[in-house]
Amino acid sequence: MIDSAMSKKKIITLSSAVLLSLLFPYLTPYTALASEILVFALFAMSYDLVLGYAGMLSFGHAAFFGIGAYTTGIMLVRVYPSVMPALLAGVIVSSLAALFVGYLSIRRSGIYFTMVTLAFAQMFYFTAFKWTGLTGGDDGLQGVPRPSIGPLDLTSEITLYYFILFFVLLSITIGLRVVNSPFGKTLQALRENKDRTMSIGYDVDKFRLIVFIISGFFSGLAGGLYALLLNFVPLSSLYWTTSGEVVVMTIVGGMGTLFGPVLGALGIILLRDIISNFTESWNFIMGLIFMGCVLGFRGGIMSIIRDKLKLNV
Amino acid sequence: MKKYNKIFGVLVVFLMVSGISALIVSPAVAADPVKVAVLTDMSGPYAGITAKNVDAARMAIEDFGGKLLGQNIEFVYRDHQCKPDVANQKAKELYEKEKVDVIIDCPNSAAGLAVSNQARIHKKLFFPIGSGTTRLNGSDCHRYTFHWGYNDYMLATAAGLWAADNLGKRWYTITADYAWGHSLLKNFKNALKSRGGTLLGNDMVALGTSDFSPYILKAMNANPDVLVLLNAGKDGVNSTKQANEFGLKKKVKIIHALFFIEGIKAVGPDVFADDYGAAPWYWKSQNPGAQKFVAQWQKKFNKPPNWMNAATYSAVTQYLEAVKRAGIKDAKPVIEKLEGHTFRDIFANPGYIRPDNHMKVADANIIRAKRKEEIKEPWDFFEFVGSVSAKDAYEPVGKTGCNMGGF
Amino acid sequence: MSAQFIGMQLFNGLILGSVYVLLSLGLSIIFGMLGIINFAHGAFYMLGAYAAYTITSYIFPNFWIAFIFGPIFMGAFGAACEVFFFRRLYKLPPLYVMLFTFGLMMAFQDIIRMIFGSMGVPFNTPESLMGAVNLGFMYYPKYRLFLIIVTALCSLGVWLFLSKTRLGALIRAGTDNSQMVDALGINISRITTLVFGLGIGLAGLAGVLVAPIQNVTHLMGMDFLIDCFVVVVIGGMGSIAGSIIGGLIVGEIIAMGIMVWPPIANTLIYLFMAAFLLVRPRGLFGREAFHD
Repeated sequence: MIDSAMSKKKIITLSSAVLLSLLFPYLTPYTALASEILVFALFAMSYDLVLGYAGMLSFGHAAFFGIGAYTTGIMLVRVYPSVMPALLAGVIVSSLAALFVGYLSIRRSGIYFTMVTLAFAQMFYFTAFKWTGLTGGDDGLQGVPRPSIGPLDLTSEITLYYFILFFVLLSITIGLRVVNSPFGKTLQALRENKDRTMSIGYDVDKFRLIVFIISGFFSGLAGGLYALLLNFVPLSSLYWTTSGEVVVMTIVGGMGTLFGPVLGALGIILLRDIISNFTESWNFIMGLIFMGCVLGFRGGIMSIIRDKLKLNV
Repeated sequence: MKKYNKIFGVLVVFLMVSGISALIVSPAVAADPVKVAVLTDMSGPYAGITAKNVDAARMAIEDFGGKLLGQNIEFVYRDHQCKPDVANQKAKELYEKEKVDVIIDCPNSAAGLAVSNQARIHKKLFFPIGSGTTRLNGSDCHRYTFHWGYNDYMLATAAGLWAADNLGKRWYTITADYAWGHSLLKNFKNALKSRGGTLLGNDMVALGTSDFSPYILKAMNANPDVLVLLNAGKDGVNSTKQANEFGLKKKVKIIHALFFIEGIKAVGPDVFADDYGAAPWYWKSQNPGAQKFVAQWQKKFNKPPNWMNAATYSAVTQYLEAVKRAGIKDAKPVIEKLEGHTFRDIFANPGYIRPDNHMKVADANIIRAKRKEEIKEPWDFFEFVGSVSAKDAYEPVGKTGCNMGGF
Repeated sequence: MSAQFIGMQLFNGLILGSVYVLLSLGLSIIFGMLGIINFAHGAFYMLGAYAAYTITSYIFPNFWIAFIFGPIFMGAFGAACEVFFFRRLYKLPPLYVMLFTFGLMMAFQDIIRMIFGSMGVPFNTPESLMGAVNLGFMYYPKYRLFLIIVTALCSLGVWLFLSKTRLGALIRAGTDNSQMVDALGINISRITTLVFGLGIGLAGLAGVLVAPIQNVTHLMGMDFLIDCFVVVVIGGMGSIAGSIIGGLIVGEIIAMGIMVWPPIANTLIYLFMAAFLLVRPRGLFGREAFHD
């Protein structure tokens, strides 16, 4: 039961966040960067459902992101140049991929789950690499168009930003609903104590599989939006480094908070963009930052906001 | 309630800081001066070869006089980290936010294609140098992209024709199994066929393979005159190191797709000694102004420039010359001045910009890597052994697959 | 396809497998003992190769000096890293440790890039190991045989050390239950430093050994890292025998894949791992303790 004062506070926080996100592209170095941050924020948020809420360390989420991006891109380039059906196809195919990978890997736990997900993601990567006719192989899938939706001219970067923002806000709302639902609470109980939850009579594997598919769905959406944003799909979107990146964003932001990963994506992408304009050694600096995060503040950016400012978001 | 104002405040401050820092990085500019950008790899795997393209572009602007159309020429650069997605984003930033008129360079084929697409969308110029894919002047060509350094067709055809004439007609090939390797193989085969040679065998090798010994062994069993290694970077070094290990070079000549002086410096002259390859340029070039450029570079960096540095210098210079001839920096008139233009500079003597596919063509050089004992001067790793005319080295008109289209 | 070629390729699989064995041994004992998934392991391997390069080209131009002191130096460096960094991490959830080692990997790679550049450094086969040996049915490069022998001896040494010595017994006990060993009044922190040093030393040795036949660059560890995770998982986390057998299996799978159908060689080990884990969830020799 949420009391009304609490929900009022939440509404204020949320609405200020929404306001900020509306102004955001004018505050970043360039518009496309703001859109990229949004895309990865969505990707990290969807990953947090699996990692933060269900406690499953997947190292293969690039698969769903990349499959969403490739499916959307291929629909737009080769099938029918219309944005909504392409995005829809992207999320459907990536959800199916999540069903497939999840079904086979969900029974493994710990490091073995991690490795099985990695193995599947690498298989998708090499398939895309080899299947040049469909995916463009190493050159990436080039020339993804951004057809207009009615009066919405998506070729404008700023319009595209708000288009992406719409989906991201929608997804976050749904994500919050999911984690606060009985389903979400059960997941967290599972994470904390698997055996006990099992003994109460919950079907652990079913819960894990469902959250895995939901996560795959949103990762695929993020991927599809990424294809639109870049006007092409880089092969690296399927590579394990992309999986690693989203793990890092989630941890740095603060896992199990949904908003944390959003801030993680913001921090990392913005910082990398700015640092790489100043120095060639940005990898070194990012590495130090990650190490500092672990030694300094382990709850991620969210915990700083919580502890240092005594806030509860 | 106050708490929430506080968090809001913190977020606003955070974003403001990032916004301001962005302003520092990219000061707003007045509308008119010509603005040149270099987008290259400064921290990724090619950084050792391409990072100094930034200095080459600066030098070209300085040597040009620094002024054009009555205003100072402006210059920015960005690091794309050799990642196509980053390249694409940075290209947008450069065209939209920085309002640059032209982007130079961009190694990595996927990155080159992505930036070329952005050039078409933004109707601004792009001069790819480091990315060699023939798609840039074939199926993906358009009015705004001018392919400046080289392309894969040239590398394969020039080296192939020369090798078939001078080294032998029985070949074995080892090919990196992806688009780049396949495209090189096709062109090498055609070159060999046109000279009546035979291909004894080919192996497709997965990218990133660390062990080439099985292929080396197969190649040795086939007993060819020439072994063609169609791979680059790490794979190129590994395969050559292992060919040496098995003693293959005692009987067989090796041809490589692409050579860099930095590559020889890095692995030592022993690895590539006596191997051949095509090169767009080498620092012992006698083109007009080349030796002056090399001397200037040597003084500044204590090493000679590589061919990408020279190509960057040339691209910037020819772009500025074209703007000068057009008298205006708008894309369309500048492009019209570039198309079909013939010029002589440090990089090409003469160079010709083909109007049919926007490829800058010039005679290709064939070079041989010197043995350790032949190297008398630091960095003098190669000798010129021949050249192939621009007409033979590049795709014939009408065979490029390019449909140039309008503006 | 001749019998000679198949034999050759089996040997090449053994070479690749040897490198995997050296790397995964370190990865596995560090995981088993300390519970750390070390993403920086590939970077330590790379540092080993650069240590050998620095020794041969700046200190003493002799491969054997580098061969002996490179790994020792790396072992000492690893032990120092344990004392200064990793010790603080043992109580953390594995995820944070992973992030830390990921950051460490990025930092190490970039430091090497800053010092030596991104193009790599030269490293030649030692004079005395050049050329080939006649094995009766084929000629095989001397250096490669040397590599196989060194790996075999090292694996044997590590196995003897862990199974026959008192210290080894303590390490094995600590792997199963570190609190228990602590409770017995044994200084566990000394042992963890030793284990870490040993693991990194083995990675360093792999780096030195591979330098003459591979391109030495700051990114050379990246390719091997993920493959080694595969090895460790197939062999079973924390198992010595698992690492050795897993390494050789993966090496041979890649070598055979190249022979049968090269395009799938990359994917084959992942296919194999996925299939293997579905049938045998804990790998070859994995213990229940690491299941979660």
